[in-house]
Amino acid sequence: MIRIARFAAVIVALAALCFAAHAMQPAPTPPAPAPAQVAAQPPHQPHQPHQPHQPHQPHQPPGYSAAALYNLANAYARGAKPGLAILNYERARLLDPNDPDIEANLRHVREISGLPQETRNRFERVARTADPTQVSWLAVLGLSIAGLSILARHRHPGHGRKLGAAAVVGICLIAATVCNAVVLWPAMHEAVVTVRSAPVRVSPVTIEDAQFALTEGQIVTVRAQHDDFILVQTREGRTGWVPSTGLARIVAQASR
Amino acid sequence: MRALFSRLPWLSAAIAVSVLGVRLAAAAASIDAAIEPTQIMLGESARLTVTTSGSGTLSVTLPVVAGLEFRVVGQSREIQMINGTTLESTSTIVRVTPEAAGTFTIPAFGPKSGPLVLRVIPSGGSLPAPNGGAPADALPLLPGSGNTEGIRLTPDGSAYVRLEIPKHEVYVGESVPVAIQVGMRDGFVASINGLPKLNSSDFTLNNLSQQPERGGRVIDGKHFTVLTWHSLLAPVKPGSFSLSFEAPLTVKIRTRPQRDSMLDDLLGDPFMQNFFGATIPKNINVTSPEAAFAVLALPAEGKPPDFGGAVGNFKISADLSSAKNVAGDPLTLRMHVDGSGNFDRVESTMLAADSQWKTYDPKSTFKAADSLGFRGEKIFEQPLIAAQPGSHTVPPLSFSYFDPGARRYETAHTSPLHVTVSAGSAQTASSEPPPPSAAGSPADESHSGLRPDHTVTEARVSSLVPLYFRPGFLAIPSVLALSFGAAWVSLRRRERRANDAKGARERLRLLTIHTLRGQMAEASAAGNTTLFLESARSALQQALSAEWQMAPEQISLADVDARLGGDADHQEIRQIFALADEASYSGDNVKAADFERWTQVVERRTAQEKSS
Repeated sequence: MIRIARFAAVIVALAALCFAAHAMQPAPTPPAPAPAQVAAQPPHQPHQPHQPHQPHQPHQPPGYSAAALYNLANAYARGAKPGLAILNYERARLLDPNDPDIEANLRHVREISGLPQETRNRFERVARTADPTQVSWLAVLGLSIAGLSILARHRHPGHGRKLGAAAVVGICLIAATVCNAVVLWPAMHEAVVTVRSAPVRVSPVTIEDAQFALTEGQIVTVRAQHDDFILVQTREGRTGWVPSTGLARIVAQASR
Repeated sequence: MRALFSRLPWLSAAIAVSVLGVRLAAAAASIDAAIEPTQIMLGESARLTVTTSGSGTLSVTLPVVAGLEFRVVGQSREIQMINGTTLESTSTIVRVTPEAAGTFTIPAFGPKSGPLVLRVIPSGGSLPAPNGGAPADALPLLPGSGNTEGIRLTPDGSAYVRLEIPKHEVYVGESVPVAIQVGMRDGFVASINGLPKLNSSDFTLNNLSQQPERGGRVIDGKHFTVLTWHSLLAPVKPGSFSLSFEAPLTVKIRTRPQRDSMLDDLLGDPFMQNFFGATIPKNINVTSPEAAFAVLALPAEGKPPDFGGAVGNFKISADLSSAKNVAGDPLTLRMHVDGSGNFDRVESTMLAADSQWKTYDPKSTFKAADSLGFRGEKIFEQPLIAAQPGSHTVPPLSFSYFDPGARRYETAHTSPLHVTVSAGSAQTASSEPPPPSAAGSPADESHSGLRPDHTVTEARVSSLVPLYFRPGFLAIPSVLALSFGAAWVSLRRRERRANDAKGARERLRLLTIHTLRGQMAEASAAGNTTLFLESARSALQQALSAEWQMAPEQISLADVDARLGGDADHQEIRQIFALADEASYSGDNVKAADFERWTQVVERRTAQEKSS
């Protein structure tokens, strides 16, 4: 019993140490934007590169913030750039999935851009309400509870019912995290069209005619990349190669 | 049969009059009338066709015109499915016979059809040819041949496709409005099975109307229903090309010999023809005569640098959302381009950024003035923000296009616009995002639904990737899971090892009991009482040790008395223990009969132990 308690203390101390280390870690500078992200600059920059001060992002500290991304998306929306606005709303939603303002403005921009609204089933809605960072640590807690409970139950069959219930609670916490991860996994491979019209071709060359065109703000799934072309799949299931300059990944690969 | 045919016109007339007497359940609230020919000699008759179509109920009443006699000679009803829409029409054929020469006006049958005029020339006169030639409709049009109007009937004379083009010399990129007419002889075409199709890869067809206009015309004395689609034709490369259109139709093929065609015409009504089994349906593609085009390349000379491919005739104007503004608040600069042409190529970068203005990319909307999008107005809206307060001038905007009529490039300019920008609280906008009120100003109407910006207070994160997808974080649950797994395996192994030791001890004990029972049998056979009793006691000690969780050698007579007080074998076991002690010290022999009884006690006890 003493040995088990000592083991549990070590595990909890280890988890607490990791959490503290993560919480105290200063946010590093975001990686340099990929080619596909070049267009994801604030709307005033292309027009006034020598502007002495940048009104919309005066002294932006490094790292990502849901509020900063939301404000940036609003600026793009006002600047008639729905693609970049939707991109930044989606990014802000990753960090703060329960912000009603993000949802409302995203819906508004989609509507005025003539894009279809997102449809989610109940599972996705419920699973997306959790903050990914919080559920990550809940998974660690759940794993600790479940592991310790199962070990203790083995050693002390007399308390089997209580320890079994504790193990179920831990497993539920892990399951909640898995559900959240399953719902967010597609977003890790999605990109937003940032140009007015992005031609989609059968192969990653420009000499052939386009099969069809993607409209600005449309979200596609990235399947592969070849040189300056990205193989995408639309929500309707159509696939083709798009110049990477016309797309911006919601979660840039360089930052992963 | 002859009697039947002789009575048929009267029969048809009677049916038609009875139908005309009631309210017609027509397919449309529209009525159309045509008279063919419009000029006849006295003594001849003209044919008046009254067509009702669409949904609704209409009644047709024969007009009363002094000097003209009207007699209904036939009626046909037709139901067509075009793109899923049911079109029903009823045509009533009326014979018009003048009683005197002169010009007669037949009143309009409905609000959309005008009055009809019939000129009757006295006998002996001659019919004048309009425009110096014979009237087109009066000319006999042989099946399979074409006429000057571009009509070429199918070999059976049931249908035609005709293309109406305003001009045959166009420029690359220029949009030309065209009309595609599909004429179907009444009673001979069952259905049209799709939209007209362009047979050329050198042109593109845009904005083809989904629902055709419906009309009618008479060719060589035969009435045709004409469906007209409108579209925009655009050449894609210079050169000399020809094109044609085709339409898929289902026609009714005459199965009767050609010599009986007069009889079929006499039957007139398709219902009567079908009744006599005169036709069968057949799918055909009807093609229009080829139309030749000379497609010219846009000249390189005089091409403005800002030319974006617009070909047509355009005018531009500009305005600002407000003449007064506060520094930092956005304004909207609008440029209106109206006219006719290829509006999909009408583009503008609007105002470029300078020291006075911060500009954003313009956004355009198009308001079509016709169904084709050939005429209309394209509006460009560009958000502007004045950098400094004061009186500012928005410089003139320009737009370049190619005018195919004048055959040259044109550049249109707007007038400069003036705006007064006052300093205000919006100076703070230089360091903060614009407030929602500014976003919702008239200059930014399309984004008035945006919720306001947030105050950035929370800590920033290094990555958008959720924590559980990062390898660094995944190490923590991985280490935890491995640790728990290792602990579990360790526990299981220790438990298994303990179980293994216990099992080994049990096996050894059973083996010992088996050996002792062998010794008891040998001692019993040899009459060695001391050895027998010691073996029996040892076997009982082994059997009871597992039950009492004690070492076998520690079990004594006192333990037997204490623990087996109520047991059935208590006395025998006690006697074996006591005699064994006695025999080991005194060496007295025990009777042979006792061996069997005590052997049975030991076997019973060890058997109990085995079963447990």
